[in-house]
Amino acid sequence: MLRFTHLSKGYAQPDGFLPVLNDVSGEVARGESVALLGESGSGKSTLLHLVAGLDVPDHGTMLLNDISLTDASAQTWNRLRREHISLVFQDFHLIPTLNVDDNLKLQARLAGQLDLDFCNQLIERLGLTGLLHGLPGELSGGQQQRVAIARSLAHRPTLVLADEPTGNLDEQTAQDVMTLLIDCVRAANSSLLMVTHSPAMAAYLDRRWHLKAGELHED
Amino acid sequence: MKTERLTRIVWVNRVLLSHYRRHPLQAIFLLLGLTLGVALWSAVELINGHARTSYADAEQFLGADAHFWIRPTGENAAVSQQDYIRLRRLGFVELYPIIEARLQTREQDWLILLATDFMALPIADAQNNSSETATPFVGDALAFMTPPFQTAVPESLASELGINPGDQLTLTNGQRLPPATLQSRPQQGERLVVDMAAAFEVLNRDNFDYLGVTKLSASREQALRQALPEGLILTRNQQSLDLQELTDSLHIQLAAMGWLAFVVGLFIVFNAVRFSLWMRQATLTTLREMGIGLDDLALAIALEALFWSVLGTLLGGGLGFLLGNLLLPTVSSSLGSLYGAIITPTVTLTARHLLQAAIMTLLGVTVAVAGPIWLSARRSIRQQQHQTLDQQFQPRQLGVQSLSAVALLGLAALYYFQIDSVSDGFVLLALVLFGSALSLPPLLYGAFWLAARSMPASWWRLRWAMRDAFAQLPHLRIAMMALLLALVANLGVSTLVGSFRIAFTDWLTVRMSADVYVQSATLDADALLTQAPLKVQASHARTGLNLRWQDRPTEIRGVNTQAPDMRSLPLALSEPNALSQWAEQGHLRPILANEQVHHLAGVNLGESVSLPTDTGTVDFQVVGFFHDYGNPYYAFYLPKATVSQYWKNAQPMGLAIWLQDTNLQAFEPDLLDAGAEPGDWIDQRQLMSVALQIFERTFAITGALNTLTLGVAGVALFAALMSIHQQRLHQYAHWRALGVNQQEWLLIVGGPLAGMVMVTGLLAIPLGAVLSALLIADINIIAFGWSMPLNWSWHPVANLAILTTLTLILTGLTALWRVQRQLPNALIRLGGTA
Ligand SMILES: Nc1ncnc2c1ncn2[C@@H]1O[C@H](COP(=O)(O)OP(=O)(O)OP(=O)(O)O)[C@@H](O)[C@H]1O
Ligand SMILES: [Mg+2]
Repeated sequence: MLRFTHLSKGYAQPDGFLPVLNDVSGEVARGESVALLGESGSGKSTLLHLVAGLDVPDHGTMLLNDISLTDASAQTWNRLRREHISLVFQDFHLIPTLNVDDNLKLQARLAGQLDLDFCNQLIERLGLTGLLHGLPGELSGGQQQRVAIARSLAHRPTLVLADEPTGNLDEQTAQDVMTLLIDCVRAANSSLLMVTHSPAMAAYLDRRWHLKAGELHED
Repeated sequence: MKTERLTRIVWVNRVLLSHYRRHPLQAIFLLLGLTLGVALWSAVELINGHARTSYADAEQFLGADAHFWIRPTGENAAVSQQDYIRLRRLGFVELYPIIEARLQTREQDWLILLATDFMALPIADAQNNSSETATPFVGDALAFMTPPFQTAVPESLASELGINPGDQLTLTNGQRLPPATLQSRPQQGERLVVDMAAAFEVLNRDNFDYLGVTKLSASREQALRQALPEGLILTRNQQSLDLQELTDSLHIQLAAMGWLAFVVGLFIVFNAVRFSLWMRQATLTTLREMGIGLDDLALAIALEALFWSVLGTLLGGGLGFLLGNLLLPTVSSSLGSLYGAIITPTVTLTARHLLQAAIMTLLGVTVAVAGPIWLSARRSIRQQQHQTLDQQFQPRQLGVQSLSAVALLGLAALYYFQIDSVSDGFVLLALVLFGSALSLPPLLYGAFWLAARSMPASWWRLRWAMRDAFAQLPHLRIAMMALLLALVANLGVSTLVGSFRIAFTDWLTVRMSADVYVQSATLDADALLTQAPLKVQASHARTGLNLRWQDRPTEIRGVNTQAPDMRSLPLALSEPNALSQWAEQGHLRPILANEQVHHLAGVNLGESVSLPTDTGTVDFQVVGFFHDYGNPYYAFYLPKATVSQYWKNAQPMGLAIWLQDTNLQAFEPDLLDAGAEPGDWIDQRQLMSVALQIFERTFAITGALNTLTLGVAGVALFAALMSIHQQRLHQYAHWRALGVNQQEWLLIVGGPLAGMVMVTGLLAIPLGAVLSALLIADINIIAFGWSMPLNWSWHPVANLAILTTLTLILTGLTALWRVQRQLPNALIRLGGTA
């Protein structure tokens, strides 16, 4: 489903070129969940951003559903991000001026794939029923992240990319949110690639990748 | 695909607009800025239109609007109806007939009755083309022109004679005038006005005393001369107020001000839109993460911009309309009362006007939106995510701005020596204004940098305040530029209007210093002066002729150098003792020329002009140039004797009389006895006061406009302040937690603001002066060949300083109040999230 081969990426920095990813390859199957582990600065976010098309690799190829993403146009990437790839961030990225209900349906509406039954199912699963009419700013961090998760899954994307989704939450909340995320990803039959620092969290997922010195290893 | 994109755009717009639902104050400020900007611009446009109407109004003054007269040559002759109708049938619609009769009532009161053909009066110009199809005569006007007719009686005269509406005056011969209607219309003076048909009945005659002729081109004049039947002659009305050029000049100046208001509007719109976009930066980034392309985003933002522009245009246009009708106390009424015509209000909201306003706002919005969109197009989404909301002042941007400012101002300086058309002049103005506006942020930055450096370390609060200026500057930058331009516009308008007022008053005073002006073919001037020596203080009989010089119509006037209006003739440029040299007429034949000869014909002081005389070309040495506002022709003054020496065909050009006491009524019988006919003389005191009244009205409106301009800038400033404090609330909460008290906060936050406003205000003063100087001394000369003395006054500066300070205090206090109200909440959150 998702396959990337020989990806390389580096950044020009004041003290010279900094190679971040060095010829990394990997594959995620439909419905599979993968944890991405590594030290701070090892390039986890960089890899995630490349896969999401938010940044461009220096070398390498990518395939999603057997469609080549190498040299894909901005339009193609926009379409993919609308319909097939969802992002979940550490700091939620909710629209502060839309209420919870509108926030969680937004991505599905933009994709033109709003399925109200599935939305209601997600709302129930994520325990958002009583919060629908409030604004994101009035919710706790855990509640906000649950809204973000609902938003990313409402249109049943092919792939969910999550960058430390529980990084801002306390341990107990993090664990609850993580369980819900995995649960909902399964319900949507989506794949998940999740960056995390916590081996405990990684243990919930099907597979684990480690980034170290620009190289990707699986254990 | 199409509908899919459409729904997407709709959703993006809903997301974008949800911002305003949560922050209604920002929506209000955005709309307020737009609305006031449009209203301001509309107001200038309205004043412009009003000024034109006013000039036309002054020109329409019966007796003064005639540029020529057609008079019968013989004693006691009249213009027959047949001749009049024949001339009009020939296409000379510039003609209108006048009957002017002196009547005595049964009560022995002398009255002057004026009658004309109201249908023939050339008032179409003043109405614009708005009422072309509708007849201007409705209601009372109809009663005025149909039996039993009406007599329009000035209210002052009515109360003097004890006439009530409906009364009919009885004349000595038993004839009764039509029923009176009372009307206060300055143009009418103390005269009774009736329709021509009524006059025929009352006076038992069927002919006219003379015909008035409005402005004619040289070729029309020629054609009319040839078409005149035997017994009628065409003479130029020496006292006609040719206001066309003066109008055009004021129009150009106000047009420049209109553009300036436009630019202020643009800045305000720009500021508001930029800010609202900037507040939604995170939302925009999130939308892009969710697969909304830049094209979709740009389209959605453009739609939002369109929404605001349309709304702002409608509201602003509406406000401008209300304002216009409030400010212009029915221009139409003065015209209407003069001719008994009801004229559609001049202040109307035209589609063209609205369209212009829409274009203005759309332009501002587009320029504001284009920048951020272009920037995000160059950056990856990832870079945008890392953009911090707290934008710091970027030295690079500052450098670019300083360089552009220097470049623009340098260009302006070079361009100054090249301008030779009005549009060049406007380009120059634009360069100066934009250059100065751009130089403001670097100047402010420099000022604060210097202030911070020169402060001793122990003044830590003030130093903090100076540092805080750098945090405020990026957000206040545009608002300060808008304030600068508003102040400049304000000063510019005040100076212009002041200069115009003085120029106009001077012009009138010189031209109308005499009490009566008589232009009569039948008057025996010597008899008049010997017969009434006690009533006449001084007189001035001019002679003159018109010829062509340098391919332009040129007036040669023979004057009495000792007449009151010549002894102190104000000169724009002159050699020492010019007036006495000229009066004595030495061998160099000194001559006075109008300024137009200097500016348009390029003649300098002390140079000679060669004029065609009866005996060939003769050189005269120009010793002085007199102001001659609004005269499209060249003009030369010489002593009367010199004129008759060189030009045998010089004609008498009327007689100006200064009376011992200004009671003209008592002098009128003397005029009649000396052979003048009613209508041969003009009461100059009255003419002048009417003209001045009309202009005062225009000038009064500019006062209101000035306040409005500042109000707009005040709103821009206020909006900017509000938004800054909204964003910095968190920071203030930190300060409060650190123990900064309210006074300290006020100093740190308010000090820089006051400083910025002060620097801006100081910069506005020279800029306002430069602007008006360019308009008056350069552009006006290029356009018309005459200048006005620049009347710089500190009065508007002081007014502005007070107004600006009040605005500042008001906005500052409101901001303080809001921050105080929200701070407790922010303090609570401080513990929560940070
Ligand atoms: N836009 C950029 N320009 C220059 N260098 C960058 C840029 N983005 C990332 N880097 C550098 O690339 C390296 C990898 O960054 P990345 O954010 O992928 O690390 P990470 O593994 O996600 O770390 P963390 O766990 O702290 O989030 C870092 O050294 C970072 O400084
Ligand atoms: Mg990271």
